[in-house]
Amino acid sequence: MARKAVYSKVAADMFIVQMSWTFWFLGILLAVQIIKMVIGGFQENGTDPYFNSVFIAANVYMLIIGIISIYFLPYYVENGVTRKDYFKGTFLALCGLSVAIPVIAICISTLENLILGNIVQFRDMDIVNSVAAKIDINSNIIGEVISGVVQSVILPPYISPESSWILAIAVFSLNIFMYYLLGWMISASFYRYNVITGLLFIGFSIIILLVRDGLLRTSLNLPVPSRYYIFESLPASILLLGVAILIVIAAVVIRQFTKDVAIKM
Amino acid sequence: MNVSCSELLLKYGNHIALDHINFEIQGEKIYGLLGRNGAGKTSLLSIMASFRKQTAGSITINGEDPFENSNIMEQIVFMYSKNYSEESETIQNMLKSAQRYRPNFDKDYAEYLIGRFQLDVKKPIKKLSKGMQSAFNVTIGLASRAPITILDEVYLGMDAPSRDIFYKELLQEQERHPRMFILSTHLVSEMEYLFDEVILINKGKLLLHEDFDTLVSKGATITGDKEIVDDFVRSKKCINEQQLGGTKSVMIFGELTEVERNDAIDRGLEVTPVPLQDLFIHLTKEEDANGTKSRLF
Repeated sequence: MARKAVYSKVAADMFIVQMSWTFWFLGILLAVQIIKMVIGGFQENGTDPYFNSVFIAANVYMLIIGIISIYFLPYYVENGVTRKDYFKGTFLALCGLSVAIPVIAICISTLENLILGNIVQFRDMDIVNSVAAKIDINSNIIGEVISGVVQSVILPPYISPESSWILAIAVFSLNIFMYYLLGWMISASFYRYNVITGLLFIGFSIIILLVRDGLLRTSLNLPVPSRYYIFESLPASILLLGVAILIVIAAVVIRQFTKDVAIKM
Repeated sequence: MNVSCSELLLKYGNHIALDHINFEIQGEKIYGLLGRNGAGKTSLLSIMASFRKQTAGSITINGEDPFENSNIMEQIVFMYSKNYSEESETIQNMLKSAQRYRPNFDKDYAEYLIGRFQLDVKKPIKKLSKGMQSAFNVTIGLASRAPITILDEVYLGMDAPSRDIFYKELLQEQERHPRMFILSTHLVSEMEYLFDEVILINKGKLLLHEDFDTLVSKGATITGDKEIVDDFVRSKKCINEQQLGGTKSVMIFGELTEVERNDAIDRGLEVTPVPLQDLFIHLTKEEDANGTKSRLF
């Protein structure tokens, strides 16, 4: 009974503090969006919708706040909260955050659409997916990895809200959820071990990211870069199970790294 | 509350920070944890507060393992000289968090202490002076009213009037809401009157755990004519001696019997107690120039 109360308190606090940062992030993007529209002279089809701007920028944002989230661990332990409650609370807050950001983005975008009509449309983001498939022109492994990471950050698997807003939100949520989780995993490895281990886990995160991209793109029938052709024979359910397994792996690693970690003083 | 350590061992790589520590403390008393720099005080306290796990051995608090134990952890507050250089939260907000997670936190008392220490609640903590940050730590430590309150050199940077407020408030709190206080300190002479019991560790080993009165009664300073003093202390453990002309003063460790005490007085010697600070210095001192070490246990 008491335990339940503590982790839900942590979840609520983590959600509130991170949402307060998120409002700044979303607010700045909204200001940029308005400036873009003013500069573009409110021409028809002149500007990408707000949803798309958030869709691209949120990955890096979530990676950064994921990295920061480890610094709440000493704060909670000092306040008499167990590492387990910190983990559960932070994970729940992450789930909330991953849903809240796309929902807010789609609401603002819908509003934008209602006010401005055709000026903002969801039309050409589909190019993102086809461009992603063409990007891998490098034949060596390093080029593959670099192009894969760049593409994953700036051209993540995308579903337009026009085709299915539920799926659009789900894919968006999954993207940012993954980035936060990987940021958290990297910072947990640096916190517990040393720089070398931390760097290894950056590499591990990149692998998870690339595999997840391939699994998700293939399962959504999006254009897929050639390196992911091995996934094509698999049914969507298996591919999505693969994504779930990657999430579980990252979460288990974070928990293992933090479950008995010494608090730095 | 009861804290019991058995064969507690903590290693950092090859370095042994705590070397098979055994002790048991209980009750609502003020414990003084003494030891030189690097003796292992903070390591021991951080295990009690679940900041880290021991390498081997066991620690129990009220019979339970405290590590990751929600019921125990919320009852222990551990305040130390923390680096607040990147803490941009205000005192006001930090008090709110303590209130949220500490079941016995007394907000009114915290506000009263903030007033006594003259802290600006709206300033980010990193902008406060070191002494004021320490006063804030004391405030959290006392106002949390945790059944086990650990204050690890929490006075660092505090000026003498603030430290005086701290000691007075500590004693008043102990009267109003008795709990187990563990104070680790270097300011032995200034704080010794606070202690009910003393735990002394040196180089990771437990040197002694005694009731304060029993401990100080174990030492005596014998002052008087050089030859008479030398004769009197011949069979005693001497921990320090000073000489000025024909007068000699020798600090001895080991209880004097009533007969011995009367004998000394009859022989014109002066017998005075040894301050805890001196016992601490001599019990933990390094090997001297002659390679002899004060080995008393």
